[in-house]
Amino acid sequence: MNEIESETTKLSSDKPYIQFQNVSKKFGNFTAINDLTLDIFNNEFFSLLGPSGCGKTTLLRMLAGFEKPTNGRILLEGEDISNIPPHLRPINMMFQSYALFPHMTVEKNIAFGLKQDKLPSNKINQRVDEMLELVELTEFSKRKPNQLSGGQRQRVALARSLAKRPKLLLLDEPLGALDKRLREQTQFELMNIQEKLGITFIIVTHDQEEAMTVSSRIGVMDSGNVIQVSTPNNLYEAPATKSVAEFIGNVNLFEGVYKGFDDIGTKLKCEHSESIVYSSQSIDAKNGSKIWLAVRPEKLEIFKSPPDYKYNILKGTIIDIGYGGSFSTYHVKLPNGNMISVIRANRERTSEKSITWNDEVYLHWSSKSAVVLTE
Amino acid sequence: MKNNMLSKYIFNGRNAVIAVPYLWLLILFLFPFLIVLKISFAEPIIAIPPFSSFFHWDGSFWPTIQASFYNYVFILEDSLYLNAYLSSLKIALISTLITLVIGYAIAYSITKAPTRWKGLLLLMVILPFWTSFLIRVYAWIGILKTEGLLNLMLLSLGITDQPLTIMNTNLAVYIGIVYSYLPFMILPIYANIEKMDGSLIEAAADLGCRPFKTFWKITIPLSIPGILAGCFLVFIPAVGEFVIPDLLGGTETLMIGKVLWIEFFSNRDWPLASAVAVILLAMLILPIMYYQKSQEKAIS
Ligand SMILES: Nc1ncnc2c1ncn2[C@@H]1O[C@H](COP(=O)(O)OP(=O)(O)O)[C@@H](O)[C@H]1O
Ligand SMILES: [Mg+2]
Repeated sequence: MNEIESETTKLSSDKPYIQFQNVSKKFGNFTAINDLTLDIFNNEFFSLLGPSGCGKTTLLRMLAGFEKPTNGRILLEGEDISNIPPHLRPINMMFQSYALFPHMTVEKNIAFGLKQDKLPSNKINQRVDEMLELVELTEFSKRKPNQLSGGQRQRVALARSLAKRPKLLLLDEPLGALDKRLREQTQFELMNIQEKLGITFIIVTHDQEEAMTVSSRIGVMDSGNVIQVSTPNNLYEAPATKSVAEFIGNVNLFEGVYKGFDDIGTKLKCEHSESIVYSSQSIDAKNGSKIWLAVRPEKLEIFKSPPDYKYNILKGTIIDIGYGGSFSTYHVKLPNGNMISVIRANRERTSEKSITWNDEVYLHWSSKSAVVLTE
Repeated sequence: MKNNMLSKYIFNGRNAVIAVPYLWLLILFLFPFLIVLKISFAEPIIAIPPFSSFFHWDGSFWPTIQASFYNYVFILEDSLYLNAYLSSLKIALISTLITLVIGYAIAYSITKAPTRWKGLLLLMVILPFWTSFLIRVYAWIGILKTEGLLNLMLLSLGITDQPLTIMNTNLAVYIGIVYSYLPFMILPIYANIEKMDGSLIEAAADLGCRPFKTFWKITIPLSIPGILAGCFLVFIPAVGEFVIPDLLGGTETLMIGKVLWIEFFSNRDWPLASAVAVILLAMLILPIMYYQKSQEKAIS
């Protein structure tokens, strides 16, 4: 974890490429973005992750210039761009709906941006061919958008937004319309392209797996604000709040009160356990204040008889087992009725002593793998 | 079995639905047209009705047909008619273009208006239809005549010191046609621009296109179906327009609608008038078919 934090600090020491400074956006009485401050650095693959309607598109549209912030400033390389119209910004966007020009061929769509720059026509043709090759659509260059499949259209949109070699590319849910296989393949293509062209990418998504796979950093958004900005790894292992922990992957939350700190770690008196449970993470809280302990399902161990540990043991009953091929998810009911999920890799094809329904089991986690949350 | 299939084919719901517009066309268009066509082959006589009959029964089962192409030959040989056709086409074409420019500007600005205003603005476009067409054209006489409202205003503002002669000129006809047919241009163009995907305009801007150029490169090409619909809806009736040239035009105004009226009512030469009408329709068939095709394309 220390390693991850130092990586974050290293990034922060660079001069930010884009800065949102206390940006708010109101639509009438409705606040879509609420006093948001965010720095994005050169060459980053940055994801904005959040549930539908949390303001991700609005944030991108403000960067592209289609919406003006109600309050605050947006800086690009240190300069305020709030008053620059979209057509003068060195930023390109790949639209959620692709927004391909229906009356132009694939070729013309890709060349459109280059023509606005008044490039010589041989240069334009060369760049268009390059882009067609990049997205593997060379033989479709003379087709109109309505003669293409969804995946092909999406690649034309990508090629069109990359053709001008922008320094910053905004992608609004670019893979939303693709099936799982094509989606995963395209994610890696995007990563390759980003690396090859050295462009800063900001990608909007509501799919946490996608964000984790492609990005160097993720900003988790909720109702108009960023709650946490960090690397995918750090977000998963050290979420800052309950909502981040719940949004990124699955998590078991134990509610309880803070009972101080000793040589094992932070002590938490759980509502459903006689004993004290521990996390090695230290926090700044008052004795007796309400806190939560977050433990990821794969970090829990499951035993059929009481294990040989002194703390962090809970007893429960197996209610349900979900078979997931390479792993199984066990749903364990605690005496107070709370459900806990545990993920175990299926190492053997069939285990003789395997755990089944209604078994009494014991759960344990290492104090290092539990995270304490105060909000 | 066979009978059953036949009745299924003829009386199923789908055919019944399609039959309604076809029946409508048959009764209200094709049938009257055939009558006009029949009359155009007759000769004028002083009788009621004032033309010779088409069918003659002389005892045998089949009637003999008496048709003459005299009227068509007459029209094609007399340059008056040819000039009237050409002049009608010219007046209709020019007024369609003027209507297009004005109509496009109005339609475009309505789509850009705040949502709560759009309904009201559209209502204002349609509102003139609540007054009789004839009365509205008469009203233009009051505006355009020498001592009319327009001249009164221009004189009192000191813009001109002589009243302008607009009434009874082709200019008055253009004004009348543009005014009368403007809604037919605005509505299809408005419908077209309104449903256009706004993100296309944003995408153009995003790629570095200035707003004015975006309008020419994206908005106009994508509104071509609306433009075509509007132009045909104005051009086709404008060619045969009679009321406007009759009320607002002067001696210089030569339009086929007026010629037709004169042949029909003043000269009581129904066969010749019918032939004039048939030729007019034949001329318009091409643009009508083209319009039909463009509409089909827009639907698919
Ligand atoms: N032009 C607009 N007018 C009014 N409300 C809007 C407008 N654009 C977005 N919103 C509202 O702002 C919120 C955030 O929208 P958006 O940024 O599109 O969310 P996301 O992309 O995260 O799903 C939504 O509740 C949406 O209804
Ligand atoms: Mg969105």
